Amino acid sequence: MENDALTFGQLLERHERELFAYALRLSGQRADAEDLYQDTFLAAFRAWPPPRRGNERAWLYKIATNRAIDRERKTKRIVANVDDLALAAPSRDDVTLVDLASAIETLPAGQRAAFVLRKLEGLGYVEIAVALDCSEEAARARVSEALKKVKAAVA
Amino acid sequence: MTMDTHLTEARERLLARAKREGLTTVGYDLLQSPLGPLWVAITPRGVATIHYGTEPSPSELRRLVRVYGPGIVPDHKRSSALARELDQYFDGTRTEFDIEYDLSGLTAFQTRVLNATAKIPFGSVSTYGAIAKRAGNAKASRAAGGALNQNPIPIVVPCHRVVGSSGALVGYAGGLDVKRRLLGLEGADVARRS
Repeated sequence: MENDALTFGQLLERHERELFAYALRLSGQRADAEDLYQDTFLAAFRAWPPPRRGNERAWLYKIATNRAIDRERKTKRIVANVDDLALAAPSRDDVTLVDLASAIETLPAGQRAAFVLRKLEGLGYVEIAVALDCSEEAARARVSEALKKVKAAVA
Repeated sequence: MTMDTHLTEARERLLARAKREGLTTVGYDLLQSPLGPLWVAITPRGVATIHYGTEPSPSELRRLVRVYGPGIVPDHKRSSALARELDQYFDGTRTEFDIEYDLSGLTAFQTRVLNATAKIPFGSVSTYGAIAKRAGNAKASRAAGGALNQNPIPIVVPCHRVVGSSGALVGYAGGLDVKRRLLGLEGADVARRS
């Protein structure tokens, strides 16, 4: 396809901004987000080429999500820095960033990734399914479950 | 600090790591010039691409990937020597480029044509026929024109110094106006014609 990235540079320039924002939202910590962004693209460079044509964006999200979940399992550390979340998610009228951050923070890793991909990154369910390596129905279920919990937490 | 600053720093560290792992091969950059933006690529052998515009053409990019693989990444440092020489050239303080150039991936005929072109001195012109002859086939002036039209490294390989046997400018991938300006900058007397 004409639009497939031929080089690491193209992949980076097209997707680094949103992947960095995603890393920031997932980890909540600037230093962790930077590590996650670097690890994601390095893993993509090492595993080149992207497994399926035209799917490089979802592929990057999948790498980032898996790495974030692995890291979290290892460290058992979940911290959301309010300033970092402010960089990533504009505040809503009725919910403070602190509320939102702590609500997102308490979600299990898989649900948090689903929530962030859908509600903050605006990905479609097909892409979320690829990123989380699950079916589309499972992706919908995770987002819906996460949304329920976040709503309950900030109510 | 803004997210942009963080991202720029994070990118630099990422590319340094990729380089240490041997994952990167070619550095590219966007340079500003009196002729507008130039997309340039530097390989381990030298400058491989100077493209008029902000993006390389797909065929130029494919050539780089064919020779050097996908590890082609943004790199300001690697382009700095070329940037300096181009600035001096446009300022009129440089008449010859010291930077090496890299024609890897081109056909043998294209390579001979471009190497012959690289020997035309600053301020002089040659003809398609003369270049074809120097490339080993005096009858191939049209093919020489084709090879020059595909020149991946204009300015440094000065295809603007090749004109028709009548002295007409004939053609230039960057546009005839650019060819005229380059010849004018070098004081070549053909600049006022056609």
